[in-house]
Amino acid sequence: IYINIIVPIYQLGNPQLRIFRPNWFLTLVRPGKEQPPDTAQFRVPMEMTKYDVKNYLEKIYNVPVGVVRTRIQFGSNKKRNHLNQKVKKPDYKVAYVQLAQGQTFTFPDVFPEKDQTPAEGSMEEMQNKFMEDEKQRQKLDPRRGGVTEWFGL
Amino acid sequence: MASRCKLPLLFPKSLFKNLRFVHTEAAVTQPSYPPVVASLTAKSKSARLRQIDEQIQKICASPVEEKLSLITRIQRQKFVVYPQTFARNADRWYQHFTKTAYIPGLPEKFSVDSGEGSSPSPADQTEITGIDGDAFAEIRALVTRVILQEHCHMNKKRKPYVYKHQEQQMGPFLKNLVAELTYSLAKYNPLLLSSSLDFSPQVNFYWRRGQRIIPKGHRKGRLEPFRFQIDDSPHSQIRITQQLPQFNPMEASYTADVPLVPLAPNLMPLFRRQYDNHIFTGAKLPDPACYGHTQFHLVPDRYHRDRMLKQQQSDQVEVFLRANALASLFSWTGAQAAYQGFWSHEDVCRPFVSQAVITDGHFFSFFCYQLNTVALSVETDANNPRKNLLWGSQSQQLFQTVQDGEVLGLNDGVIKLLVQFLMNRP
Repeated sequence: IYINIIVPIYQLGNPQLRIFRPNWFLTLVRPGKEQPPDTAQFRVPMEMTKYDVKNYLEKIYNVPVGVVRTRIQFGSNKKRNHLNQKVKKPDYKVAYVQLAQGQTFTFPDVFPEKDQTPAEGSMEEMQNKFMEDEKQRQKLDPRRGGVTEWFGL
Repeated sequence: MASRCKLPLLFPKSLFKNLRFVHTEAAVTQPSYPPVVASLTAKSKSARLRQIDEQIQKICASPVEEKLSLITRIQRQKFVVYPQTFARNADRWYQHFTKTAYIPGLPEKFSVDSGEGSSPSPADQTEITGIDGDAFAEIRALVTRVILQEHCHMNKKRKPYVYKHQEQQMGPFLKNLVAELTYSLAKYNPLLLSSSLDFSPQVNFYWRRGQRIIPKGHRKGRLEPFRFQIDDSPHSQIRITQQLPQFNPMEASYTADVPLVPLAPNLMPLFRRQYDNHIFTGAKLPDPACYGHTQFHLVPDRYHRDRMLKQQQSDQVEVFLRANALASLFSWTGAQAAYQGFWSHEDVCRPFVSQAVITDGHFFSFFCYQLNTVALSVETDANNPRKNLLWGSQSQQLFQTVQDGEVLGLNDGVIKLLVQFLMNRP
């Protein structure tokens, strides 16, 4: 169940705020623009602050974090649907996390290019070969140099 | 007989006329039309190139004050480089911006002597030119006096509030130390007699390095250089009338390696602003003390060791010191070179040398900088093998503690290095 919880504001004299089971989830994303090698980019919930992100990564995932910078990305409200109503794309907060102790991070290639050649003796290979032979047969005589068959005897 | 040689029917007299001018030089004819060059006002690329060329020629041909005003005339968006920065790994970025190679350890002039002089006996202090054992003992006593003055004799009614400790305690301590050391060493180093000691001067420098393609706007797709500006105010500096000698010949810097950062500077994080471009050493142009000797920097509370330790960023302390020394000394030496008329299209013909001491009251770090090239913009850097050099030492404590009016653990090596730095002269 998702309940609307407001994190309590700190006032002088309050005990240190501790959150034991945070209901926040970070998303590691591929940076749109090239980032320095020690920087990782996350999409974080709007309620998290820089210090929250730092403590979250250090305590839960044991990642040595140097410094965190955040910004809020405005989701556009310009697009309109078929009823001419404005459709809002949701806003989200982006955190740039610089790792400590000289560690580097590059976003991995999640969709690597697969080798398209099919296995030996399989149906796909025979089909591909057949299609290629058909195409070759449709082509004109290369000695004609691209001239069409409309002319000639 | 007449038909044996192949002469034409009508014997031409011009045969002899042509032979007359064979051995004389061709007369130099004045061109009767002006040279064909690209237009100056057309809306074309060659016209733009010619305009830039004319501007460069104009700047090269003008006197120094006009040169400075022409270079810093146009205001554009530029990156403001702060020498004391919170950014991580700032020294790598700054090395790329200023084309500087970092060499750990001090140059041979200082390192040979400081390696032997770590024992506190005054007998082997004779390696410093002109300072013998008694004079060194005097200097030691002076330093102890200054430390005690600040730490126990000064009657401070209130403890400094948050983030004011360095400014209110270490600031005056460093000021007294620098002033007393300079004036007492003036009798051994005649250069210091005609030097000028400034407190919190302004040092500014403006330069261009690298370029980018403008991504959006009415100038989209065009090349734009990155502009940088340093506005620094060191705690104190000593300016002298003569140039310090070079530590290494310029050719030796060709092999040094400068870290190359292919990313845009704003990822550092570094922010852009637009305001007046300044190039200033600490005094105006007609001042005779136009060359730099030593700068002293104070580490503010925000970057103090203990605070970095609390944030688990102790490795960034050395990085911060190096970045500070690099940026401050580059801006100072660059401004000195600009005062002599060297700019990015007229490279320096002799290296400019300066020194810096960065301290937070207890830990002292020493840095030496040699400016070999100021030609950092895209056109001039294409075939420029010269690099600037920065030597730096590890931070050493001057004293351990002050107890009952006594200074414990006074480090002679640090005092020796300070004296050597101040005694440096051509």
